[in-house]
Amino acid sequence: MDELVAEGLRIDAGARTLVEDASFHVGAGEIVALVGSSGSGKTVTARALLGMIPFAPGRVAGRVAVTVGGVTTTPRTDADFRPLRGGALGLLWQDARAALDPLRTVGAQVLAAARLAGITPPAAELLARAGFPDPTRVARLYPHELSGGMAQRAAIAVALARDSRFLVADEPTTGLDPSVQREILAQLSALAAAGRGLLFITHDLRLLPGFATRVVVMDRGRTVEEATSIADLTGAGRLLVEATRKVAGGVL
Amino acid sequence: MSARAVGMALLGAVIVAWGLALVAPYDVVADVDPTRASLAPSLAHWLGTDHLGRDVAWRLLLGSRAFVAPALLTAAVAGIVGGAAGALAGWFGGPIAALVRYGFTVGASVPRFVFVLLAGAIFGAAPTVLAVATGLACAPAVGEGVRSRLDELRRAEFVLALRAHGVPEARILLHHLLWVNARGLVLRHLFQAFGFFLVVETTLSYLGGFGVQEPTPSWGNMLAFEFGIPDGNAFAWMAPALAIWAAVLGTALLGQDLGRAEGADGG
Repeated sequence: MDELVAEGLRIDAGARTLVEDASFHVGAGEIVALVGSSGSGKTVTARALLGMIPFAPGRVAGRVAVTVGGVTTTPRTDADFRPLRGGALGLLWQDARAALDPLRTVGAQVLAAARLAGITPPAAELLARAGFPDPTRVARLYPHELSGGMAQRAAIAVALARDSRFLVADEPTTGLDPSVQREILAQLSALAAAGRGLLFITHDLRLLPGFATRVVVMDRGRTVEEATSIADLTGAGRLLVEATRKVAGGVL
Repeated sequence: MSARAVGMALLGAVIVAWGLALVAPYDVVADVDPTRASLAPSLAHWLGTDHLGRDVAWRLLLGSRAFVAPALLTAAVAGIVGGAAGALAGWFGGPIAALVRYGFTVGASVPRFVFVLLAGAIFGAAPTVLAVATGLACAPAVGEGVRSRLDELRRAEFVLALRAHGVPEARILLHHLLWVNARGLVLRHLFQAFGFFLVVETTLSYLGGFGVQEPTPSWGNMLAFEFGIPDGNAFAWMAPALAIWAAVLGTALLGQDLGRAEGADGG
């Protein structure tokens, strides 16, 4: 069974400890929500999972294990992580537009990702799989011509083209309007239903009911709680739920 | 008409002239004929003749040989030397960048024309020497442009995203940063280098001593040879002067157009 595991992940930046102890696992087909207030260490955890912050004394400690097709690797160095990036592990960014090359069309970038995965379908087909109703038109657009929702969809198309087994999605719906948020979530649900594992990082608990299969709560650099639904949270997670309820009214 | 269309037409004409000159059956010495000195333009001599009776149109065509190939060499040297040093500094940053930038600053502090004259005086004024020297003189500008563009891009989110997609580092640098995101900038500098060599060559051959010597035509020595001749054919010096101006204008317009197409100006 494919699995992405973080055990006792600790991330330091100089004298500051950003993450003290993050432990969780994501199975194939699962959508695990990593929640916590801003500054609780979610984004650096995501970057460390892909080895974008190097494992080194005083930077990153702990263990990341990736199991794909029965083979488990515990990458530590950049060279260990490199072959895992893309195929085994993918990243969806909060600012999807900034994650696209400003000088190349969406179609060219999706195709380039597909080529890395060793496949060359038409760009329009890849974009259609990410839910674009008019893929041939979108393929010709440049990132600055995309709306926020379209940019995130394009980023999903790139991840699809790359065929990553696990996707780490860092606030992928933040800043999008509610109807677009729902569409993106539906798209991500479809990815998980197709057997990919998804680590969904967010501060917005309203997105989770009916979407996440499990919730991991992060508080001041530690993963403190885990539950299958936000209704079952008791400790720090409960406080987050209540804080959200206060601003969001009866949504939760 | 757009800057691009005018620029391409002007430079295109230069390149066509060069192509024709390479195969032209014209003998610079045999064409001398004092009986037809300083004739006005006619069907037989489209731009008339100079004071030695030589066909101005033919010599104008042949004059392109004095600079086109060396100017391409200039652009190549500027692009390769400046591009490589700039890429190295922009990609790695830190002490390597500091060292390379120091080199750029020192290089750029020597007036380009003086540098070329010096190289010509030391190594001889062969077109290749002048072209390489001009290329080296233009390299700091190319390098600094590439360096600053890469420095600003290498930490960009999309570069991190490429890395997260498993794109190899060499491909990120060579393809995504240099080719996709810096080629317009480099090309603009190369057009400038091409134009600068034309100015260097025509100036040197105008002044005499260095550069292409009579009877081999260059737009610079044609201008010098015919300007101020009493009762001369005005076309004999106006034509090369206009040709120089048009060719330099062509490189400038194309360079400007590339700068605009790429949006941000990286330096």
